Amino acid sequence: MAAPMELSCWGGDWGLPSLHPESLTVMAYAKFSGAPLIVNTINNSWRATKGNLPVLVSEDIVISQPAKILNFLRKQKYNADYDLSAKQGADTLAYIALLEEKLLPALLHTFWIEAENYCSVTKPWFASKIAFPLSLYLPGKMSREALNRILLTKGGPPLYSLTEVEAQIYRDAKECLNLLSKRLGTSQFFFGDTPTTLDAFVFGFLAPIYKVCFPRVQLQEHLKQLPNLCRFCDDILTCYFRLTVSGHSPAGQDTADANLQKLTQLVNKESNLIEKMDDNLRKSPQHPPRKLTTLKLAAGGEESSPMSRLSP
Amino acid sequence: AAEPWPENAALYQQLKEEQILLSDNASSLAVQAFLQMCNLPIRVICRANAEYMSPSGKVPFIHVGNQVVSELGPIVQFVKAKGHSLSDGLDEVQKAEMKAYMELVNNMLLTAELYLQWCDDVTVEEITHPRYGSPYPWPLNRILSYQKQWEVRRKMKAIGWAGKTLEQVLEDVDQCCHALSQRLGTQPYFFNKHPTELDALVFGHLFTILTTQLITDELSEKVKNYSNLTAFCRRIEQQYFEGHEKDSSAVAARSSKRSLLR
Repeated sequence: MAAPMELSCWGGDWGLPSLHPESLTVMAYAKFSGAPLIVNTINNSWRATKGNLPVLVSEDIVISQPAKILNFLRKQKYNADYDLSAKQGADTLAYIALLEEKLLPALLHTFWIEAENYCSVTKPWFASKIAFPLSLYLPGKMSREALNRILLTKGGPPLYSLTEVEAQIYRDAKECLNLLSKRLGTSQFFFGDTPTTLDAFVFGFLAPIYKVCFPRVQLQEHLKQLPNLCRFCDDILTCYFRLTVSGHSPAGQDTADANLQKLTQLVNKESNLIEKMDDNLRKSPQHPPRKLTTLKLAAGGEESSPMSRLSP
Repeated sequence: AAEPWPENAALYQQLKEEQILLSDNASSLAVQAFLQMCNLPIRVICRANAEYMSPSGKVPFIHVGNQVVSELGPIVQFVKAKGHSLSDGLDEVQKAEMKAYMELVNNMLLTAELYLQWCDDVTVEEITHPRYGSPYPWPLNRILSYQKQWEVRRKMKAIGWAGKTLEQVLEDVDQCCHALSQRLGTQPYFFNKHPTELDALVFGHLFTILTTQLITDELSEKVKNYSNLTAFCRRIEQQYFEGHEKDSSAVAARSSKRSLLR
Protein backbone atom coordinates (compact mmCIF):
# COMPACT_ATOMS: atom_id res chain seq x y z
CA MET A 1 0.00 0.00 0.00
CA ALA A 2 2.96 2.30 0.42
CA ALA A 3 4.05 1.70 -3.13
CA PRO A 4 2.58 4.23 -5.49
CA MET A 5 0.16 2.92 -8.06
CA GLU A 6 0.48 4.19 -11.58
CA LEU A 7 -2.28 4.10 -14.07
CA SER A 8 -1.54 4.41 -17.76
CA CYS A 9 -4.53 5.38 -19.80
CA TRP A 10 -5.78 7.47 -22.65
CA GLY A 11 -6.00 11.17 -22.04
CA GLY A 12 -9.01 13.35 -22.34
CA ASP A 13 -10.52 16.21 -24.19
CA TRP A 14 -13.77 18.13 -24.40
CA GLY A 15 -13.81 18.48 -20.65
CA LEU A 16 -13.28 14.82 -19.84
CA PRO A 17 -10.29 13.34 -18.06
CA SER A 18 -10.25 10.53 -20.58
CA LEU A 19 -12.01 9.62 -23.81
CA HIS A 20 -11.72 5.90 -23.36
CA PRO A 21 -14.67 4.38 -21.45
CA GLU A 22 -12.63 1.82 -19.56
CA SER A 23 -9.93 4.31 -18.56
CA LEU A 24 -12.62 6.70 -17.40
CA THR A 25 -14.27 4.00 -15.31
CA VAL A 26 -11.03 3.23 -13.48
CA MET A 27 -10.23 6.89 -12.90
CA ALA A 28 -13.72 7.54 -11.56
CA TYR A 29 -13.54 4.58 -9.21
CA ALA A 30 -10.17 5.73 -7.92
CA LYS A 31 -11.63 9.14 -7.14
CA PHE A 32 -14.68 7.65 -5.45
CA SER A 33 -12.69 5.31 -3.26
CA GLY A 34 -9.89 7.75 -2.50
CA ALA A 35 -7.18 5.60 -4.00
CA PRO A 36 -4.02 7.61 -4.66
CA LEU A 37 -3.31 6.94 -8.29
CA ILE A 38 -0.68 8.58 -10.38
CA VAL A 39 -2.29 8.95 -13.76
CA ASN A 40 -0.06 8.85 -16.82
CA THR A 41 -1.87 9.74 -19.96
CA ILE A 42 -0.47 8.46 -23.19
CA ASN A 43 1.12 11.30 -25.05
CA ASN A 44 3.19 10.59 -28.03
CA SER A 45 5.93 8.67 -26.34
CA TRP A 46 7.02 5.18 -27.19
CA ARG A 47 6.32 3.69 -23.81
CA ALA A 48 3.46 1.36 -23.07
CA THR A 49 1.13 1.91 -25.98
CA LYS A 50 0.18 -1.65 -26.45
CA GLY A 51 -3.41 -0.73 -27.09
CA ASN A 52 -4.67 -2.59 -24.06
CA LEU A 53 -5.24 0.35 -21.80
CA PRO A 54 -5.93 1.08 -19.00
CA VAL A 55 -3.03 -0.59 -17.22
CA LEU A 56 -2.28 -0.36 -13.53
CA VAL A 57 1.27 -0.86 -12.35
CA SER A 58 1.96 -1.28 -8.67
CA GLU A 59 5.42 -2.43 -7.62
CA ASP A 60 5.83 -5.35 -9.97
CA ILE A 61 2.25 -6.21 -10.57
CA VAL A 62 0.70 -5.27 -13.90
CA ILE A 63 -3.05 -5.48 -14.22
CA SER A 64 -4.92 -4.67 -17.35
CA GLN A 65 -8.67 -4.99 -17.39
CA PRO A 66 -10.98 -2.59 -15.55
CA ALA A 67 -12.75 -5.30 -13.58
CA LYS A 68 -9.44 -6.75 -12.42
CA ILE A 69 -8.05 -3.30 -11.61
CA LEU A 70 -11.08 -2.54 -9.49
CA ASN A 71 -10.71 -5.86 -7.69
CA PHE A 72 -7.08 -5.06 -6.97
CA LEU A 73 -7.98 -1.65 -5.58
CA ARG A 74 -10.61 -3.25 -3.37
CA LYS A 75 -8.06 -5.67 -2.00
CA GLN A 76 -5.84 -2.72 -1.18
CA LYS A 77 -8.71 -1.48 0.96
CA TYR A 78 -9.89 1.22 -1.43
CA ASN A 79 -13.46 0.08 -1.53
CA ALA A 80 -16.22 2.32 -2.74
CA ASP A 81 -18.84 -0.39 -2.18
CA TYR A 82 -18.38 -0.61 1.53
CA ASP A 83 -21.86 0.51 2.42
CA LEU A 84 -23.70 -1.57 -0.10
CA SER A 85 -25.95 -4.40 0.92
CA ALA A 86 -25.46 -7.79 -0.69
CA LYS A 87 -28.48 -7.31 -2.90
CA GLN A 88 -27.13 -3.97 -4.11
CA GLY A 89 -23.83 -5.64 -4.91
CA ALA A 90 -25.74 -8.18 -6.99
CA ASP A 91 -27.62 -5.38 -8.73
CA THR A 92 -24.27 -3.78 -9.56
CA LEU A 93 -23.11 -6.88 -11.41
CA ALA A 94 -26.39 -7.13 -13.27
CA TYR A 95 -26.39 -3.52 -14.42
CA ILE A 96 -22.77 -3.71 -15.51
CA ALA A 97 -23.70 -6.74 -17.64
CA LEU A 98 -26.58 -4.71 -19.10
CA LEU A 99 -24.20 -1.86 -19.98
CA GLU A 100 -21.74 -4.19 -21.66
CA GLU A 101 -24.34 -6.03 -23.66
CA LYS A 102 -26.59 -3.19 -24.72
CA LEU A 103 -24.71 0.08 -24.55
CA LEU A 104 -21.13 -0.84 -25.39
CA PRO A 105 -21.80 -1.95 -29.00
CA ALA A 106 -23.41 1.38 -29.84
CA LEU A 107 -20.63 3.26 -28.06
CA LEU A 108 -17.99 1.38 -30.03
CA HIS A 109 -19.94 2.01 -33.20
CA THR A 110 -20.19 5.75 -32.61
CA PHE A 111 -16.51 6.05 -31.91
CA TRP A 112 -14.89 3.59 -34.26
CA ILE A 113 -17.17 2.49 -37.04
CA GLU A 114 -19.39 5.37 -38.06
CA ALA A 115 -17.34 6.63 -40.97
CA GLU A 116 -17.71 10.37 -40.44
CA ASN A 117 -17.06 10.17 -36.72
CA TYR A 118 -14.09 7.90 -37.11
CA CYS A 119 -12.36 9.87 -39.84
CA SER A 120 -12.94 13.33 -38.52
CA VAL A 121 -12.67 12.90 -34.77
CA THR A 122 -11.61 9.55 -33.37
CA LYS A 123 -8.74 8.66 -35.65
CA PRO A 124 -7.00 12.05 -35.61
CA TRP A 125 -7.40 12.33 -31.87
CA PHE A 126 -5.98 8.91 -31.07
CA ALA A 127 -3.31 9.20 -33.72
CA SER A 128 -2.15 12.46 -32.21
CA LYS A 129 -1.59 10.73 -28.89
CA ILE A 130 0.50 7.88 -30.21
CA ALA A 131 4.03 8.03 -31.48
CA PHE A 132 4.68 7.75 -35.19
CA PRO A 133 4.65 5.22 -36.91
CA LEU A 134 2.43 3.32 -34.47
CA SER A 135 -0.13 6.06 -34.96
CA LEU A 136 -0.66 4.84 -38.49
CA TYR A 137 -1.49 1.35 -37.36
CA LEU A 138 -3.07 1.37 -33.92
CA PRO A 139 -6.27 3.38 -34.56
CA GLY A 140 -7.01 1.17 -37.54
CA LYS A 141 -6.50 -1.91 -35.43
CA MET A 142 -8.80 -0.63 -32.70
CA SER A 143 -11.43 0.12 -35.31
CA ARG A 144 -11.20 -3.35 -36.80
CA GLU A 145 -11.44 -4.94 -33.38
CA ALA A 146 -14.54 -2.93 -32.59
CA LEU A 147 -16.21 -3.94 -35.83
CA ASN A 148 -15.28 -7.56 -35.26
CA ARG A 149 -16.73 -7.52 -31.80
CA ILE A 150 -20.00 -6.01 -32.90
CA LEU A 151 -20.44 -8.35 -35.85
CA LEU A 152 -19.60 -11.46 -33.89
CA THR A 153 -21.83 -10.73 -30.94
CA LYS A 154 -24.73 -9.00 -32.60
CA GLY A 155 -24.45 -9.68 -36.27
CA GLY A 156 -25.81 -13.17 -36.73
CA PRO A 157 -28.95 -13.99 -38.71
CA PRO A 158 -31.69 -12.72 -39.03
CA LEU A 159 -29.70 -9.50 -39.29
CA TYR A 160 -27.78 -9.85 -42.49
CA SER A 161 -26.41 -6.43 -43.32
CA LEU A 162 -24.37 -3.95 -41.35
CA THR A 163 -27.15 -1.36 -41.50
CA GLU A 164 -29.60 -3.77 -39.89
CA VAL A 165 -27.11 -4.55 -37.16
CA GLU A 166 -26.51 -0.85 -36.63
CA ALA A 167 -30.23 -0.17 -36.35
CA GLN A 168 -30.59 -2.96 -33.79
CA ILE A 169 -27.67 -1.88 -31.62
CA TYR A 170 -28.80 1.72 -31.52
CA ARG A 171 -32.30 0.58 -30.55
CA ASP A 172 -30.80 -1.52 -27.76
CA ALA A 173 -28.61 1.35 -26.62
CA LYS A 174 -31.49 3.79 -26.44
CA GLU A 175 -33.53 1.28 -24.47
CA CYS A 176 -30.60 0.78 -22.13
CA LEU A 177 -30.31 4.53 -21.58
CA ASN A 178 -34.01 4.69 -20.81
CA LEU A 179 -33.68 1.86 -18.30
CA LEU A 180 -30.73 3.54 -16.61
CA SER A 181 -32.63 6.78 -16.39
CA LYS A 182 -35.60 5.04 -14.79
CA ARG A 183 -33.35 3.27 -12.34
CA LEU A 184 -31.55 6.48 -11.37
CA GLY A 185 -34.75 8.43 -10.93
CA THR A 186 -34.14 11.53 -8.88
CA SER A 187 -31.41 10.29 -6.60
CA GLN A 188 -27.91 11.63 -6.79
CA PHE A 189 -26.16 8.35 -7.40
CA PHE A 190 -27.42 4.89 -8.14
CA PHE A 191 -27.29 3.69 -4.57
CA GLY A 192 -28.08 6.74 -2.50
CA ASP A 193 -25.71 9.57 -1.76
CA THR A 194 -22.29 8.04 -2.20
CA PRO A 195 -20.95 6.87 -5.52
CA THR A 196 -20.05 3.21 -6.00
CA THR A 197 -18.65 0.86 -8.61
CA LEU A 198 -21.85 1.02 -10.64
CA ASP A 199 -21.64 4.81 -10.76
CA ALA A 200 -18.06 4.52 -11.99
CA PHE A 201 -19.06 2.16 -14.80
CA VAL A 202 -22.12 4.16 -15.84
CA PHE A 203 -20.08 7.36 -15.80
CA GLY A 204 -17.32 5.71 -17.83
CA PHE A 205 -19.77 4.67 -20.52
CA LEU A 206 -22.01 7.73 -20.56
CA ALA A 207 -19.53 10.59 -20.32
CA PRO A 208 -17.85 10.00 -23.70
CA ILE A 209 -21.24 9.85 -25.40
CA TYR A 210 -22.31 12.97 -23.60
CA LYS A 211 -19.31 15.16 -24.10
CA VAL A 212 -17.42 14.28 -27.24
CA CYS A 213 -18.56 16.33 -30.21
CA PHE A 214 -19.14 14.07 -33.15
CA PRO A 215 -20.68 14.92 -36.49
CA ARG A 216 -23.14 12.01 -36.15
CA VAL A 217 -24.69 12.19 -32.74
CA GLN A 218 -27.92 10.23 -32.54
CA LEU A 219 -26.95 8.61 -29.26
CA GLN A 220 -25.90 11.92 -27.73
CA GLU A 221 -29.19 13.50 -28.71
CA HIS A 222 -31.08 10.67 -27.08
CA LEU A 223 -28.97 11.02 -23.97
CA LYS A 224 -29.63 14.73 -23.77
CA GLN A 225 -33.32 13.97 -23.55
CA LEU A 226 -32.69 12.20 -20.27
CA PRO A 227 -31.81 15.09 -18.00
CA ASN A 228 -31.14 13.03 -14.87
CA LEU A 229 -28.35 11.12 -16.63
CA CYS A 230 -26.82 14.37 -17.93
CA ARG A 231 -26.98 15.83 -14.45
CA PHE A 232 -25.34 12.67 -13.10
CA CYS A 233 -22.36 13.06 -15.46
CA ASP A 234 -21.98 16.76 -14.80
CA ASP A 235 -22.12 16.23 -11.05
CA ILE A 236 -19.34 13.67 -11.10
CA LEU A 237 -17.20 15.82 -13.37
CA THR A 238 -17.51 18.92 -11.22
CA CYS A 239 -17.32 17.20 -7.84
CA TYR A 240 -14.70 14.56 -8.43
CA PHE A 241 -12.66 15.72 -11.32
CA ARG A 242 -12.59 19.44 -10.59
CA LEU A 243 -12.85 20.11 -14.27
CA THR A 244 -14.76 23.18 -15.19
CA VAL A 245 -16.32 21.32 -18.12
CA SER A 246 -14.30 23.81 -20.20
CA GLY A 247 -16.45 26.50 -18.63
CA HIS A 248 -19.16 25.75 -21.17
CA SER A 249 -22.53 24.16 -20.92
CA PRO A 250 -23.31 21.98 -23.93
CA ALA A 251 -25.45 24.70 -25.44
CA GLY A 252 -22.67 27.24 -24.89
CA GLN A 253 -20.16 24.95 -26.50
CA ASP A 254 -22.39 24.58 -29.53
CA THR A 255 -22.64 28.32 -30.05
CA ALA A 256 -18.88 28.63 -29.58
CA ASP A 257 -18.42 26.02 -32.27
CA ALA A 258 -20.90 27.71 -34.56
CA ASN A 259 -19.06 31.02 -34.14
CA LEU A 260 -15.78 29.32 -34.81
CA GLN A 261 -17.15 27.80 -37.97
CA LYS A 262 -18.47 31.12 -39.20
CA LEU A 263 -15.12 32.77 -38.54
CA THR A 264 -13.21 30.08 -40.38
CA GLN A 265 -15.60 30.33 -43.29
CA LEU A 266 -15.10 34.08 -43.52
CA VAL A 267 -11.37 33.75 -43.39
CA ASN A 268 -11.47 31.02 -46.02
CA LYS A 269 -13.52 33.23 -48.30
CA GLU A 270 -11.01 36.01 -47.87
CA SER A 271 -8.15 33.70 -48.65
CA ASN A 272 -9.94 32.44 -51.76
CA LEU A 273 -10.35 36.01 -52.95
CA ILE A 274 -6.72 36.72 -52.26
CA GLU A 275 -5.76 33.60 -54.19
CA LYS A 276 -7.76 34.70 -57.17
CA MET A 277 -6.15 38.11 -57.12
CA ASP A 278 -2.82 36.47 -56.85
CA ASP A 279 -3.52 34.23 -59.83
CA ASN A 280 -4.35 37.27 -61.87
CA LEU A 281 -1.18 38.96 -60.77
CA ARG A 282 0.84 35.85 -61.52
CA LYS A 283 -0.49 35.67 -65.02
CA SER A 284 0.76 39.15 -65.69
CA PRO A 285 4.51 38.84 -66.32
CA GLN A 286 6.04 41.55 -64.14
CA HIS A 287 5.41 40.06 -60.64
CA PRO A 288 7.21 37.01 -59.22
CA PRO A 289 4.96 34.18 -58.08
CA ARG A 290 3.97 34.19 -54.42
CA LYS A 291 3.00 31.22 -52.31
CA LEU A 292 -0.13 31.34 -50.28
CA THR A 293 -1.20 29.06 -47.55
CA THR A 294 -4.72 27.75 -47.83
CA LEU A 295 -6.83 27.21 -44.82
CA LYS A 296 -8.73 24.04 -44.08
CA LEU A 297 -12.04 24.27 -42.36
CA ALA A 298 -11.53 22.74 -38.94
CA ALA A 299 -14.06 19.94 -38.21
CA GLY A 300 -16.59 21.26 -35.72
CA GLY A 301 -15.66 20.58 -32.16
CA GLU A 302 -11.95 20.14 -32.36
CA GLU A 303 -11.20 22.73 -29.79
CA SER A 304 -7.76 21.45 -29.14
CA SER A 305 -5.95 23.82 -31.41
CA PRO A 306 -8.40 26.07 -33.16
CA MET A 307 -6.39 29.22 -32.96
CA SER A 308 -3.22 27.78 -34.39
CA ARG A 309 -5.16 26.56 -37.43
CA LEU A 310 -6.37 30.02 -38.17
CA SER A 311 -3.03 31.73 -38.25
CA PRO A 312 -2.25 32.34 -41.90
CA ALA B 1 -55.08 -11.67 -27.40
CA ALA B 2 -54.95 -11.52 -31.14
CA GLU B 3 -55.37 -15.22 -31.85
CA PRO B 4 -55.71 -18.09 -29.47
CA TRP B 5 -52.73 -20.30 -28.85
CA PRO B 6 -52.96 -23.24 -31.27
CA GLU B 7 -52.97 -26.80 -30.03
CA ASN B 8 -50.12 -27.96 -32.18
CA ALA B 9 -47.52 -25.40 -31.10
CA ALA B 10 -44.13 -27.08 -31.19
CA LEU B 11 -40.71 -26.38 -29.80
CA TYR B 12 -37.73 -27.69 -31.73
CA GLN B 13 -34.39 -28.59 -30.27
CA GLN B 14 -31.60 -31.02 -30.99
CA LEU B 15 -31.74 -34.70 -30.10
CA LYS B 16 -31.95 -34.96 -26.39
CA GLU B 17 -30.02 -38.07 -25.58
CA GLU B 18 -27.19 -37.98 -28.06
CA GLN B 19 -26.69 -34.58 -29.56
CA ILE B 20 -27.75 -31.61 -27.52
CA LEU B 21 -25.09 -29.68 -25.64
CA LEU B 22 -25.12 -27.98 -22.26
CA SER B 23 -25.77 -24.42 -23.45
CA ASP B 24 -28.48 -25.37 -25.94
CA ASN B 25 -30.21 -27.55 -23.41
CA ALA B 26 -30.19 -24.67 -20.93
CA SER B 27 -31.75 -22.29 -23.45
CA SER B 28 -34.34 -24.84 -24.46
CA LEU B 29 -35.30 -25.61 -20.88
CA ALA B 30 -35.63 -21.89 -20.15
CA VAL B 31 -38.14 -21.47 -22.99
CA GLN B 32 -40.07 -24.55 -21.92
CA ALA B 33 -40.24 -23.25 -18.35
CA PHE B 34 -41.42 -19.86 -19.55
CA LEU B 35 -44.21 -21.36 -21.64
CA GLN B 36 -45.27 -23.60 -18.77
CA MET B 37 -45.40 -20.59 -16.49
CA CYS B 38 -47.65 -18.83 -18.99
CA ASN B 39 -49.79 -21.95 -19.16
CA LEU B 40 -49.30 -22.38 -22.85
CA PRO B 41 -49.08 -26.00 -23.99
CA ILE B 42 -46.23 -26.94 -26.26
CA ARG B 43 -44.79 -30.13 -27.68
CA VAL B 44 -41.06 -30.68 -27.71
CA ILE B 45 -39.81 -32.10 -30.98
CA CYS B 46 -36.22 -33.22 -31.35
CA ARG B 47 -34.57 -32.91 -34.71
CA ALA B 48 -30.94 -33.30 -35.62
CA ASN B 49 -30.96 -30.24 -37.83
CA ALA B 50 -32.84 -27.96 -35.43
CA GLU B 51 -30.02 -25.42 -35.49
CA TYR B 52 -30.28 -25.05 -39.24
CA MET B 53 -34.04 -24.81 -39.25
CA SER B 54 -34.00 -21.95 -36.81
CA PRO B 55 -34.37 -18.45 -38.30
CA SER B 56 -31.52 -17.09 -36.22
CA GLY B 57 -29.33 -20.16 -36.16
CA LYS B 58 -29.92 -20.69 -32.47
CA VAL B 59 -32.05 -23.21 -30.65
CA PRO B 60 -34.68 -23.49 -29.40
CA PHE B 61 -37.29 -22.11 -31.70
CA ILE B 62 -41.05 -22.44 -31.59
CA HIS B 63 -43.44 -23.02 -34.43
CA VAL B 64 -46.81 -21.51 -33.61
CA GLY B 65 -49.50 -21.29 -36.23
CA ASN B 66 -47.53 -20.16 -39.23
CA GLN B 67 -44.84 -18.24 -37.37
CA VAL B 68 -41.41 -19.31 -36.32
CA VAL B 69 -39.68 -17.49 -33.48
CA SER B 70 -36.34 -18.38 -31.92
CA GLU B 71 -34.56 -17.53 -28.68
CA LEU B 72 -36.05 -16.52 -25.37
CA GLY B 73 -36.08 -12.74 -25.91
CA PRO B 74 -38.10 -12.72 -29.14
CA ILE B 75 -40.32 -15.56 -27.84
CA VAL B 76 -41.21 -13.50 -24.77
CA GLN B 77 -42.16 -10.58 -27.00
CA PHE B 78 -44.13 -12.85 -29.33
CA VAL B 79 -46.07 -14.33 -26.44
CA LYS B 80 -46.72 -10.85 -25.10
CA ALA B 81 -48.17 -9.83 -28.46
CA LYS B 82 -50.53 -12.77 -28.10
CA GLY B 83 -51.69 -11.35 -24.82
CA HIS B 84 -49.81 -13.42 -22.25
CA SER B 85 -47.18 -11.79 -20.13
CA LEU B 86 -45.52 -12.59 -16.84
CA SER B 87 -43.93 -9.23 -16.18
CA ASP B 88 -46.91 -6.90 -16.54
CA GLY B 89 -47.25 -6.48 -12.83
CA LEU B 90 -43.77 -5.07 -12.41
CA ASP B 91 -43.10 -1.37 -12.20
CA GLU B 92 -40.53 0.39 -14.36
CA VAL B 93 -37.61 0.06 -11.99
CA GLN B 94 -38.32 -3.65 -11.48
CA LYS B 95 -38.52 -4.19 -15.22
CA ALA B 96 -35.14 -2.51 -15.61
CA GLU B 97 -33.75 -4.79 -12.91
CA MET B 98 -35.22 -7.85 -14.55
CA LYS B 99 -33.66 -6.98 -17.88
CA ALA B 100 -30.33 -6.29 -16.21
CA TYR B 101 -30.34 -9.68 -14.45
CA MET B 102 -31.27 -11.47 -17.66
CA GLU B 103 -28.29 -9.83 -19.34
CA LEU B 104 -26.13 -10.94 -16.42
CA VAL B 105 -27.19 -14.55 -16.90
CA ASN B 106 -26.60 -14.35 -20.64
CA ASN B 107 -23.32 -12.53 -20.25
CA MET B 108 -21.80 -14.75 -17.58
CA LEU B 109 -23.55 -18.10 -17.33
CA LEU B 110 -24.20 -18.70 -21.00
CA THR B 111 -20.75 -17.51 -22.03
CA ALA B 112 -19.17 -19.69 -19.35
CA GLU B 113 -21.12 -22.70 -20.63
CA LEU B 114 -20.00 -21.99 -24.17
CA TYR B 115 -16.40 -21.58 -22.98
CA LEU B 116 -16.51 -24.86 -21.13
CA GLN B 117 -17.97 -26.70 -24.08
CA TRP B 118 -15.87 -25.32 -26.85
CA CYS B 119 -12.67 -23.84 -25.45
CA ASP B 120 -11.69 -26.35 -22.78
CA ASP B 121 -9.72 -28.94 -24.71
CA VAL B 122 -10.53 -31.94 -22.57
CA THR B 123 -14.27 -31.31 -22.67
CA VAL B 124 -14.15 -30.62 -26.38
CA GLU B 125 -12.39 -33.87 -27.18
CA GLU B 126 -14.35 -36.14 -24.93
CA ILE B 127 -17.82 -34.71 -24.94
CA THR B 128 -18.54 -31.93 -27.38
CA HIS B 129 -17.08 -33.29 -30.61
CA PRO B 130 -18.64 -36.75 -30.32
CA ARG B 131 -22.02 -35.34 -29.34
CA TYR B 132 -22.30 -32.43 -31.72
CA GLY B 133 -21.80 -34.40 -34.89
CA SER B 134 -23.33 -37.67 -33.74
CA PRO B 135 -26.27 -37.79 -36.19
CA TYR B 136 -23.98 -37.39 -39.17
CA PRO B 137 -21.56 -39.78 -40.84
CA TRP B 138 -17.82 -39.30 -40.87
CA PRO B 139 -16.28 -36.96 -42.02
CA LEU B 140 -19.23 -34.60 -41.84
CA ASN B 141 -19.47 -34.89 -38.09
CA ARG B 142 -15.88 -33.77 -37.58
CA ILE B 143 -16.17 -30.94 -40.10
CA LEU B 144 -19.32 -29.54 -38.50
CA SER B 145 -17.80 -29.73 -35.03
CA TYR B 146 -14.63 -27.98 -36.04
CA GLN B 147 -16.57 -25.31 -37.86
CA LYS B 148 -18.72 -24.58 -34.85
CA GLN B 149 -15.71 -24.64 -32.57
CA TRP B 150 -13.88 -22.13 -34.74
CA GLU B 151 -16.93 -19.86 -34.72
CA VAL B 152 -17.32 -19.97 -30.94
CA ARG B 153 -13.61 -19.41 -30.33
CA ARG B 154 -13.66 -16.36 -32.59
CA LYS B 155 -16.50 -14.93 -30.57
CA MET B 156 -14.72 -15.64 -27.30
CA LYS B 157 -11.65 -13.85 -28.58
CA ALA B 158 -13.68 -10.81 -29.64
CA ILE B 159 -15.23 -10.40 -26.20
CA GLY B 160 -12.00 -11.03 -24.38
CA TRP B 161 -12.75 -14.44 -22.88
CA ALA B 162 -10.15 -16.32 -24.92
CA GLY B 163 -7.43 -15.30 -22.51
CA LYS B 164 -9.26 -16.63 -19.48
CA THR B 165 -8.30 -19.86 -17.79
CA LEU B 166 -10.84 -22.38 -16.63
CA GLU B 167 -10.38 -21.28 -13.03
CA GLN B 168 -11.19 -17.71 -13.93
CA VAL B 169 -14.29 -18.81 -15.80
CA LEU B 170 -15.45 -20.86 -12.83
CA GLU B 171 -14.82 -17.89 -10.59
CA ASP B 172 -17.02 -15.78 -12.83
CA VAL B 173 -19.73 -18.42 -12.59
CA ASP B 174 -19.40 -18.32 -8.83
CA GLN B 175 -19.74 -14.54 -8.81
CA CYS B 176 -22.82 -14.74 -10.97
CA CYS B 177 -24.42 -17.39 -8.77
CA HIS B 178 -23.56 -15.35 -5.70
CA ALA B 179 -25.32 -12.33 -7.22
CA LEU B 180 -28.37 -14.41 -8.16
CA SER B 181 -28.47 -15.99 -4.73
CA GLN B 182 -28.31 -12.61 -3.03
CA ARG B 183 -31.03 -11.23 -5.23
CA LEU B 184 -33.29 -14.23 -4.65
CA GLY B 185 -32.77 -14.23 -0.92
CA THR B 186 -35.57 -16.13 0.78
CA GLN B 187 -38.27 -15.28 -1.71
CA PRO B 188 -39.92 -18.00 -3.76
CA TYR B 189 -39.26 -16.19 -7.03
CA PHE B 190 -37.09 -13.30 -8.06
CA PHE B 191 -39.95 -10.84 -7.98
CA ASN B 192 -41.64 -12.23 -4.98
CA LYS B 193 -44.91 -13.95 -5.60
CA HIS B 194 -45.05 -14.66 -9.29
CA PRO B 195 -42.51 -16.09 -11.64
CA THR B 196 -41.25 -14.02 -14.55
CA GLU B 197 -39.08 -14.72 -17.56
CA LEU B 198 -36.06 -14.14 -15.36
CA ASP B 199 -37.06 -17.11 -13.20
CA ALA B 200 -37.48 -19.23 -16.32
CA LEU B 201 -34.07 -18.24 -17.64
CA VAL B 202 -32.27 -18.82 -14.35
CA PHE B 203 -34.05 -22.15 -13.88
CA GLY B 204 -33.08 -23.30 -17.38
CA HIS B 205 -29.40 -22.61 -16.85
CA LEU B 206 -29.04 -23.72 -13.25
CA PHE B 207 -31.05 -26.92 -13.61
CA THR B 208 -29.06 -27.93 -16.65
CA ILE B 209 -25.77 -27.23 -14.90
CA LEU B 210 -26.88 -29.22 -11.87
CA THR B 211 -28.04 -32.25 -13.81
CA THR B 212 -25.41 -32.53 -16.48
CA GLN B 213 -22.45 -34.79 -16.10
CA LEU B 214 -19.27 -33.30 -17.41
CA ILE B 215 -15.64 -34.31 -17.06
CA THR B 216 -15.44 -32.75 -13.64
CA ASP B 217 -18.08 -31.62 -11.20
CA GLU B 218 -16.64 -28.20 -10.64
CA LEU B 219 -19.35 -26.29 -12.47
CA SER B 220 -22.23 -27.91 -10.65
CA GLU B 221 -20.40 -27.65 -7.35
CA LYS B 222 -20.29 -23.89 -7.79
CA VAL B 223 -24.05 -23.79 -8.08
CA LYS B 224 -24.60 -26.25 -5.25
CA ASN B 225 -22.84 -23.91 -2.88
CA TYR B 226 -25.95 -21.78 -2.85
CA SER B 227 -28.75 -23.68 -1.22
CA ASN B 228 -31.48 -21.19 -2.07
CA LEU B 229 -30.68 -21.61 -5.75
CA THR B 230 -30.97 -25.40 -5.61
CA ALA B 231 -34.22 -25.06 -3.65
CA PHE B 232 -35.44 -22.63 -6.29
CA CYS B 233 -34.74 -25.12 -9.08
CA ARG B 234 -36.47 -27.91 -7.19
CA ARG B 235 -39.49 -25.76 -6.56
CA ILE B 236 -39.94 -24.78 -10.19
CA GLU B 237 -39.40 -28.32 -11.34
CA GLN B 238 -42.05 -29.58 -8.97
CA GLN B 239 -44.52 -26.93 -9.85
CA TYR B 240 -44.21 -26.80 -13.57
CA PHE B 241 -42.69 -29.99 -14.80
CA GLU B 242 -43.85 -32.80 -12.60
CA GLY B 243 -46.29 -35.09 -14.29
CA HIS B 244 -45.47 -33.93 -17.78
CA GLU B 245 -43.61 -36.62 -19.61
CA LYS B 246 -42.96 -34.39 -22.55
CA ASP B 247 -40.12 -32.91 -20.61
CA SER B 248 -38.10 -35.80 -19.31
CA SER B 249 -35.98 -33.56 -17.16
CA ALA B 250 -38.76 -33.76 -14.59
CA VAL B 251 -38.80 -37.52 -14.54
CA ALA B 252 -35.21 -37.72 -13.43
CA ALA B 253 -34.59 -37.75 -9.73
CA ARG B 254 -34.29 -34.28 -8.42
CA SER B 255 -31.00 -34.09 -6.71
CA SER B 256 -29.18 -37.05 -8.14
CA LYS B 257 -27.26 -36.36 -11.26
CA ARG B 258 -28.89 -37.34 -14.45
CA SER B 259 -26.47 -38.31 -17.11
CA LEU B 260 -27.38 -35.98 -19.89
CA LEU B 261 -24.00 -36.26 -21.41
CA ARG B 262 -22.07 -39.47 -21.68
